[in-house]
Amino acid sequence: MSKFVREELTVNGVKTVVYTAGTGDPLVVFHGAGTVDGFDFAEPWVEKYRVIFPYHPGFGESDDDPSITDIHDYVMHYLDLFDALKLDKFNLVGLSMGGYLAAKFASEHRHRIKKLVLIAPYGLYVPEHPTADIIAIPGEEIVPMLVSNFETFKQRLPERPDVEFIGARYREATSFARLFWEHPTDPKFPRYLHRIKMPTLIVWGDEDKLIPVQQAQTWRKLIPNSEVMIMKRAGHIVQHDKPETVEAIGRFLG
Amino acid sequence: MAPLRFNAMHFMPYVHLPENHKEFKTTWVNFPNKFYDPEKGHELYQQYFEQLVLADRLGFDAIVLNEHHNTVYSMMATPNVVASALIPQVQKARICVWGVPPNFMLPNRLAEEYAILDVMSKGRLEIAFPLGTGMEYWSNPVSPVTAREKFRESLKVMLQAWTTDGPTTHYGKFYTYRFLNPWPRPYQKPHPPCYIVGTGSPETIELAAELGFGYSSVFVPQKTALELNQRLRDRATHYGHTIRPEQLPLLNFVYVAETQEQAEGEYIIHLQRFFEDYARSSPQWLAPPGYVSLEQLKIRAAGSDRMHGGFDFKAISGSFFIAVGTPEKVANLIGDWATRMGTNHINSVMHVADMPHWKAVKNMTLFAEQVMPRLRSSGGAR
Repeated sequence: MSKFVREELTVNGVKTVVYTAGTGDPLVVFHGAGTVDGFDFAEPWVEKYRVIFPYHPGFGESDDDPSITDIHDYVMHYLDLFDALKLDKFNLVGLSMGGYLAAKFASEHRHRIKKLVLIAPYGLYVPEHPTADIIAIPGEEIVPMLVSNFETFKQRLPERPDVEFIGARYREATSFARLFWEHPTDPKFPRYLHRIKMPTLIVWGDEDKLIPVQQAQTWRKLIPNSEVMIMKRAGHIVQHDKPETVEAIGRFLG
Repeated sequence: MAPLRFNAMHFMPYVHLPENHKEFKTTWVNFPNKFYDPEKGHELYQQYFEQLVLADRLGFDAIVLNEHHNTVYSMMATPNVVASALIPQVQKARICVWGVPPNFMLPNRLAEEYAILDVMSKGRLEIAFPLGTGMEYWSNPVSPVTAREKFRESLKVMLQAWTTDGPTTHYGKFYTYRFLNPWPRPYQKPHPPCYIVGTGSPETIELAAELGFGYSSVFVPQKTALELNQRLRDRATHYGHTIRPEQLPLLNFVYVAETQEQAEGEYIIHLQRFFEDYARSSPQWLAPPGYVSLEQLKIRAAGSDRMHGGFDFKAISGSFFIAVGTPEKVANLIGDWATRMGTNHINSVMHVADMPHWKAVKNMTLFAEQVMPRLRSSGGAR
């Protein structure tokens, strides 16, 4: 964590916080809908890459932008942020909702992405292996569903959820609901995934309780140059349960 | 102050809860509807209609209906249907639909339905616009995140439909009307009396003030209700409106009996079941994502929500508008409330939870015959 430098930018009038560490080839990480798990997992990549971890508007340390109402608005936000950061081509890693955003970005701006990593990405409607409706699951039930090894994950949570913690989760749930309450998935999204041509790694935990591991194969079929890496005894936050996932992704990135 | 006005409000609960209902964390949203028996439901409608028709015969000034979904709390998922059944039977009293959350209807269609009720009743309709509780958003395919914005636009469309000769147009964020031209139009001009009903969100009060609508706070402590009334008056003045006493309906729970002991003995168990069983919700149901501001959410998270589960009669009747006792005691309490709250509009729930028919009939009769005359003669200002 100490290696990361915090930077505040104003993007379309919205305070956007970006953490950066390392030099070398840029590697952007898109977080998921909850920022409890932080980004210190990305430390091993810092040796080789300039790791860039932005907080999406509406999440973590960035301010709210209620005018962002669908995933494409986030794509447009990142076009502006990457301009400000003078980022042209980069590697992109997305987790969960951040995986959906990463895939969306890559399908529209493939020339800018060198390699793509999707970790348990949200966003596909797979009727035979449906994503849990995370909006409908009570907060206290969803947290244990995030990982296989809840005992170690607990250390990242307050012992008793206080008002600030509850407020932060409510805020992020609101930002998520702003996009997905009425339409959890976009039926047109898979139609354009074939435009993702760069080498793509799809990572999943075989004990994912939110987005079933079987969806990995659907993603693989839709993205031409993709491969799947399944981590055993890992839940939705794969890298928490299996820290070696981070090294394995590093090897894929080269 | 103008003479007091008395409403009989009804929730029309489904009272046949299963034996094991306590095993369910809430009786809203996902409480299984297999527990609804339509034959028993039919009997209940008969009783409840009889009670509201009786309210009219007894001289109540209005009957009040409202809307809730996916719950035993109310069998009025669509109160306009209930209102239309009652209109031919309720001959004098005003018909208050307080009301349909506009977010769950197309606004032109809601404007039409209300106009139909107003014409059918020869101008006896009154309307309240609720945003809808959090529970209604879990039960309807409408985002709570944009609920307030959509609510505002719906009201704009409806008012335009009623007050501007059609056809007109509306090009909004949520709705497009190329020909806004609803038939029929309301009997009352420019439209039936309108209120906003809510639990006191600052955004909602502001909207009522801006539109010059009445405001009824529900399930807030007396102290808060007093502040909300004052806030509405102040903010309405800012927009050039003057709020009249009758625009501030005072929601209260009433039970009248021959003695104090009898009143408490006959009533408290039903009031307790109302709060513990029928209003049994959860923080998640009450505040879906985006339904309240982060600030409001933190206030709610910091204090427990006593009105949805948990019951202490002394505490509850001390801080909320609950009058249980002899006609004299109930009349005194209501008179005091009216004076303190600056209202002459008394909106009383005369039946709660699984109260049997005979108690509701007795309660309304004693109220009409022994409480209303005391208050009417005093004019409410004590």
